[in-house]
Amino acid sequence: METNPAFDKYMDRYFDYPGQWDTPSRCGLKTIRRNDGKVLVITTEIYRQNPGTPVTEWIAPLATMLLGYLQEQPENLIFIEHTPDLGSRLTFYGETFDRVVFDWNGDRFINPKWNRLSKADVDQLMNG
Amino acid sequence: MKFKLIYPRWEKLEGQTTFNLPPHGPVVMAADIPADVTIDFTDENVEDLVIDDSPDLVGISMMLTTQVKRGWAIADEYRKLGKKVIFGGISAMLHAEETMPHADSIFLGEVEGRMPGVLEDFRKNALQKVYNFMAKPPEMNLIGPANRSILKKDLYYHKGFRMVDLFHASRGCIYDCYPCAVRFLGGRRFRPRPIDRVVEEMEQIDNNRLFIVDNSLALDSAWEKDLFRAMIPLKKKWVSHTIEDKDEILDLAAQAGAWYVYQAVFDTSDYIRNRIRQYHDFGIAVEGTILLGLDNQTEDDIKKLIDFLLEINLDLAEFTVLAPFPHTKAYADLLKQNRIFDFDWDHYNAGKVVYYPRHMTPERLQKLYHYAWDTFYRDEPQTMKMFNLITRVINREVADGTYAPRRRDLIDVSFGREVTKSA
Repeated sequence: METNPAFDKYMDRYFDYPGQWDTPSRCGLKTIRRNDGKVLVITTEIYRQNPGTPVTEWIAPLATMLLGYLQEQPENLIFIEHTPDLGSRLTFYGETFDRVVFDWNGDRFINPKWNRLSKADVDQLMNG
Repeated sequence: MKFKLIYPRWEKLEGQTTFNLPPHGPVVMAADIPADVTIDFTDENVEDLVIDDSPDLVGISMMLTTQVKRGWAIADEYRKLGKKVIFGGISAMLHAEETMPHADSIFLGEVEGRMPGVLEDFRKNALQKVYNFMAKPPEMNLIGPANRSILKKDLYYHKGFRMVDLFHASRGCIYDCYPCAVRFLGGRRFRPRPIDRVVEEMEQIDNNRLFIVDNSLALDSAWEKDLFRAMIPLKKKWVSHTIEDKDEILDLAAQAGAWYVYQAVFDTSDYIRNRIRQYHDFGIAVEGTILLGLDNQTEDDIKKLIDFLLEINLDLAEFTVLAPFPHTKAYADLLKQNRIFDFDWDHYNAGKVVYYPRHMTPERLQKLYHYAWDTFYRDEPQTMKMFNLITRVINREVADGTYAPRRRDLIDVSFGREVTKSA
């Protein structure tokens, strides 16, 4: 597993991951180290630019991979799942943010639960 | 070696005309089975399954989520008899993890070039638990004609009328449509088959009427035009999902035998109205596919939508309630919001509400679903609208010399079962 602990305050990049059934997959990844030391992780579904498993379907394994990638402790990460606005007339392709909380089984994240956030909520989480 | 291939039955939607079409997945898979293997195919929708201990290997091919529980039950019976069972097909992929406890092996991905190896593993008693080709689609020129010889063709007639044969010209899709899992099943890249291979297969089908099952033919204009040009001499008549609404393409499609197309109608806009009119201008009929219960629909929106459908003269309409199939955005969104209350896959037939709609109760949406069918077909019943469509294609076939009359010997038979003349 590739690791990248070198980020200091902020990172914004694509993240490639093996999705379900090992399908090559990609998401957007933003990480922000907050003043309290916790790391906010925002994964973005990039739809057509993601050749494989969507973020939502793979959120728990993806979060586990990101934990290893960032070399952090489970309790130190705050996960947000982001879907961008696709400019569709259909409301379900609008922008959304969800905070995702997991159980930690000692080895990996399991049992994801999503809670919808407003942009203001996200700003608040960014600032810690 | 005897390979028993089974297509499990599922419960059809209540109150709607049932048509059993010859399945596509099994015939595509059968094309990759070596000639020294005898395939004994049973489509449980049109014939009874006899579970016996004669096959060497059992294959269960599943397309729909509503087939999986029956598929699992069949597998359990065969495994009690000591037979090995392998699963494949669309819904085996959608429900892979749940299928595994019922399977000796599960095949994920596209089959071309892979079955000889799988069968060799079986002969060596080394069948793998999972054959995972999800990220390794085959070269498109490997996809040759499906093996339709495994079908008992007389079972796919209704009162002497032959059902359409299913056919595919491409795989994959660039879109992420809300209720659709093709992105997961075929990948996010549109992969058209080479035109010569498409024509080679179409020529071999002894049925003049086809259903081109591709998710959309409208993803590569140049290929789409080449496809329609190549189809013109074949004189087939066909049904398909979306085609592009450019005049040049619609003209070619009409020349190539476009009979009717499925068009998703999701609002009452001029965009939809004009699109339907455009199809009609080129002599192509339209069956609207109308998904009820989306988050942007109130009860009033649904009623207005039905009025709109009557106003724009759709030739047919098919109403469904949103079924959040696994590996769709609909499933992901509703799961995130904890809005799915029923995970019994038998209920995922797109006629039963299994989640909490945003603007109404599940019970109200269920009533609106029945209201939609009843209202749209109140003045002209579904059978009459279908008769009009059939008449239309017969007239074209008579004109170009491709008409095959009804089978008189099957006039009292519907999908293999005898019916009375008035039924």
